[in-house]
Amino acid sequence: MVGMSYAAVPLYRLYCQATGLGGSAVAGHDSDQIETMEPVKDRIIKVTFNADVHASLHWNFRPQQTEIYVVPGETALAFYKAKNSTDKPVIGISTYNVVPFEAGQYFNKIQCFCFEEQRLNPQEEVDMPVFFFIDPEFAEDPRMASVDLITLSYTFFEAKGGHKLPLPGYQ
Amino acid sequence: MSTAMNFGSKSFTPRPPDKGAFPLDHFGECKGFKEKFMKCLRENSFENASCRLESKEYLECRMERQLMAKEPLEKLGFKDLTDEKSEAKHKKL
Repeated sequence: MVGMSYAAVPLYRLYCQATGLGGSAVAGHDSDQIETMEPVKDRIIKVTFNADVHASLHWNFRPQQTEIYVVPGETALAFYKAKNSTDKPVIGISTYNVVPFEAGQYFNKIQCFCFEEQRLNPQEEVDMPVFFFIDPEFAEDPRMASVDLITLSYTFFEAKGGHKLPLPGYQ
Repeated sequence: MSTAMNFGSKSFTPRPPDKGAFPLDHFGECKGFKEKFMKCLRENSFENASCRLESKEYLECRMERQLMAKEPLEKLGFKDLTDEKSEAKHKKL
């Protein structure tokens, strides 16, 4: 088993089917915001993509684009690709990271492939989309004035299906 | 660049996606739309704004094949593209 260091993952599995409120000091984002938000067209941000796998996961996992140029308030699509290069089905699960840290609060994933177990059959390769937007409030935050590069990193590791990790005392 | 999970109090806290995870497109049903989108990106210096029609079409493909919950396109940030579409329809009539 990968170990307790990844205990945060099943924590978020509980919330994946819900409306997205993670319980921490972060506001939920609803469809009304997406419907009414206006793109901040003069604020171009470069989003770059990293992909990693844990050493024990024999998947070929990589982004399908090195970068995308977006503006706050505009929904954007990007793709990763994963291939199970073994001869057995493998279940993977991923988490992500955003740098710079302070920009992460403005990075909103509408839908992606993280925090849910993903099963790939032997030699199977799939596209993995990420649908996201940068909150328009990013453009109004003086701390973000010099941020024009955001890096999204996904890391996949193997999930042992059915294995339940004890949840830390959440709530 | 660090991609490790940090559990210190000042580190990044991942949040789940608002609408959960995309089911995997095991049969590549929407691969053609993905390829069209990627081609658009390559031809437009990876500018998202230039390829929004293609991204909308990819998501519509998923919705039509139960690979994504059906939603009005306005709620996915495509309200300007839906206005144009209905305008075009009116013109054809």
